Amino acid sequence: MSARDVLLQIAQVVTVMSLAPLIQGVIAQFEERIQRGRGPGVLQPYRDLWKLFHKGVVVPQTASWLFWAAPVIAFTAMLTVPLLIPVLTNYPLPLSDMGDILGGGLILTLGSFVLVLAGLDTSSAYGGIGSSRAVMVAILAEPTLIVVFVGITLLAKAMLPFVVNHLLVENWAAYWSPAHLFVVAAFFILLLVETDRMPIHSSSSFEIYMIEEARILEYSGPLLGLIRWASMMKQFILYTIFCNVLVLPWGLSVEGTGLGALGAAGGLVIKFILVAGVVVTVETAQSRLRFYRYQEPLAASFLLAVLSIISTQMS
Amino acid sequence: MLIEHLDPVASSLFSLLAIASLLLAFVMLGSGWLKNYLYAFAAESWVIAIISAASGFYGHYPELYVIAVLTWLFRGMLLPYLIWRIIHRLDVNREIHVILQPSMSLVIGALFVMFALAVSNRVATVFHLQLTVAVLALTVMLSMKLIGFLMLAVRHEAISQILGLLVLENGIFLGSQVLVPGMPLLIEMVILFDLLIVVVCFGVLVRYLKTHAGTTSSLDLKRLVG
Repeated sequence: MSARDVLLQIAQVVTVMSLAPLIQGVIAQFEERIQRGRGPGVLQPYRDLWKLFHKGVVVPQTASWLFWAAPVIAFTAMLTVPLLIPVLTNYPLPLSDMGDILGGGLILTLGSFVLVLAGLDTSSAYGGIGSSRAVMVAILAEPTLIVVFVGITLLAKAMLPFVVNHLLVENWAAYWSPAHLFVVAAFFILLLVETDRMPIHSSSSFEIYMIEEARILEYSGPLLGLIRWASMMKQFILYTIFCNVLVLPWGLSVEGTGLGALGAAGGLVIKFILVAGVVVTVETAQSRLRFYRYQEPLAASFLLAVLSIISTQMS
Repeated sequence: MLIEHLDPVASSLFSLLAIASLLLAFVMLGSGWLKNYLYAFAAESWVIAIISAASGFYGHYPELYVIAVLTWLFRGMLLPYLIWRIIHRLDVNREIHVILQPSMSLVIGALFVMFALAVSNRVATVFHLQLTVAVLALTVMLSMKLIGFLMLAVRHEAISQILGLLVLENGIFLGSQVLVPGMPLLIEMVILFDLLIVVVCFGVLVRYLKTHAGTTSSLDLKRLVG
């Protein structure tokens, strides 16, 4: 373990922390542009966070210690995952062997789990609705996530994201095999679900369809800022897994020099803009569904993951 | 046999095409709109035409090009057009009474695919077919047949039952194109014309149903008439 590796490890976490609001801003901007609006500007999430961290905290009387702990746990969980996945380098860094893909998924889920608890904690009606809806979606998304991970594992014969990355870079046959394409399609639907962009969702907090936003209506000030930041980082992490592991595994730093890491960060932003364009197009072009049809995209995603496992059994 | 000496690129092409047609069968299973079934069926037929042409190219069977063109013309253009005309005239747009929710039928379809995989693995070991393309073709064939049966069983609209029958038929055709590509031209043409007659008969029946029962849903056919 050299000092440079430790620095790179820290740089991965800092990259995720600092670029997550940018991606959020880019997506918001794309959405506005597609809907012929002008949009608030790419840097608006940074300004929002700045404003939130300079406000006071109002805590409901019914809240327990969980109300304080949940944002901190969610934020810490999102700081842990970038240690495990290839953000800048395509080789494992010192603490990368703490967990595999399943471990990363577990920590991500822990973050959403504490937010669900926090939504129930203050016993307000909206928090309860938001939490129950989020759990309803998560119950169906979780088995699909596991099956997708199993599909990836069968494809690369390993649970480590770095191995999958190397396999896809080196082997064109594996890249274009049906198994890989199905995993990509299934993970894309999961990406929409987990970043709150399912056709039943509404990402803004003004409509009755809100799911993620309803859980955190009671929060204010720095705590709300932490939660917002954590959700942006979750989106960034899922995009990183989607791009760097599955779809565009190229352009990562091979030797781990400072210049290479900077280049990898720049490449990451370009890849994310590509994927965000696709995500926003899909989200805007698809018509909204009734809330109780929330199982349909997830059933399709589950089906794709099962097909991918079946096609790995063929090859 | 053609599939015993395929190069890797060709076999990946075959598996991609076979799985694409399986996916289109799932699109038919998961949708509630008759137009969507129809488009998915047409696309599936086009994929099967490409499979015929590809096995003609790789196996040096020139008559398979004829089959490909016929498949494209009949299954990909004429049958969808006839069914589209029936849908258009009868003014039915979607399945109204569903027995099984689309998401549930997708999951059952996935279980069918697993079952088909188990069966075709078994068949492949009995017949010493070690090749992955053969197993895949058998799996896709069996699972498309099962999906066709599922569509026949869980749908009420007469038109989606025709399409279920056609999916079943497409499954058999796909399997025969990959597994026994040298099947005589005459038999394939007979099957194609058979299908045409099936669809025309079904069209007559559906219009009879519409004029006498006032509906195209088989749910309303409960009274026994002597």
